[in-house]
Amino acid sequence: MVLRIVCDVFFLVSLVFALAGTKGIIKMPDTFSRMQASTCVSTLGVLGVVIGGILYAAIAMHSASAAIKIGVIGLMIMVTNPIGSHVLARGAYKAGIRPDKPMETDDLGRDFDE
Amino acid sequence: MQKTKTPAVVATFVVCYAFWILLTWSFAAQELIVGAVVSLLVALFAARFFIHAKAGWLANPAKFFACLGFWLFTFPVELIKANVNMAKICFGGCKAINPGIVKVPTAMKSDYGLAAVSNSITLTPGTITMEVAEDPNEQRNYLYVHWINVEETDPQKAGEAIKGTLEKGLRRVWE
Amino acid sequence: MTDLLLFAIFFAVLAAMNLYRLAKGPNAADRMVAGDAMDNTICCAMILFSLYSGRGVYLDIALLAALFGIVDTILVGRYLEKGRGL
Repeated sequence: MVLRIVCDVFFLVSLVFALAGTKGIIKMPDTFSRMQASTCVSTLGVLGVVIGGILYAAIAMHSASAAIKIGVIGLMIMVTNPIGSHVLARGAYKAGIRPDKPMETDDLGRDFDE
Repeated sequence: MQKTKTPAVVATFVVCYAFWILLTWSFAAQELIVGAVVSLLVALFAARFFIHAKAGWLANPAKFFACLGFWLFTFPVELIKANVNMAKICFGGCKAINPGIVKVPTAMKSDYGLAAVSNSITLTPGTITMEVAEDPNEQRNYLYVHWINVEETDPQKAGEAIKGTLEKGLRRVWE
Repeated sequence: MTDLLLFAIFFAVLAAMNLYRLAKGPNAADRMVAGDAMDNTICCAMILFSLYSGRGVYLDIALLAALFGIVDTILVGRYLEKGRGL
């Protein structure tokens, strides 16, 4: 019973952060800010489910393989997400996508665009 | 094209074989033998793409425990702080933002160190590394970071605010 | 037991909310951000449903979705950067 409550707390935290990230993706005004919000989904939004799932699979279901697989899923998402995020942000900037409102400072544009 | 080195092949083989065992999850002899053969072929073919530096750098105990301490204690604290900030911005109507791209210097020299620090910056919500540039005159590397709430435009202070604790932890592993 | 199914449904609803940005987004990078977030959320929903139903197949599918979710992001990013494929 205690285990169920602990797992539910982890899932609930994860749901709250995933909801925050999704709301950010829908409401944010420009492309790069939406990317920042989507990082929220793929860090704590996934990590809460992974930790709760490992606890549930290992203790309630006695299944070591399921626990290890859930851990590897979390590790893969955490390792691969920054690479995709970085490549997408750089590609969007090089393709000429700029926010409607001018940015506070733009050192990349200052150094690379002539 | 680099030459294939033996430690790189061994490291790639271990990772591939662990993944095979994880996916099949049966310990019959024939499955293990087929997995070993396939992993060896893949490692011989692909090791030169994956590992460019020394393969066994994590075998040093001091570096191993510094690495473990960083990923288990220092980094999650920063991650949770940044996530809470981002969630506050999102639930507050996405109005309190001030985006901008700042240029920050980094003390990292090696490829692995640069990759680790830039990916750690990208993984904390609120900052995304967009480009890595090298200054040939001063022998320093610079990161261009998209920051959702620009508080400082001075490179040194902005670098301290973005990656102060992260870089301190990572310099114990690489450097 | 029911709470796992309930959380899985919540995550699926979150993934469906991303469809708005996927349909509306003014440019390709916006659509790709929404697709990436959908991928991660669906992974979470699949982990929870696998724990609810006790079947290991969903975990394998979630693992492959997590692995190959990166490929399309990098492909679109490189395409935007250079104007052609990889």
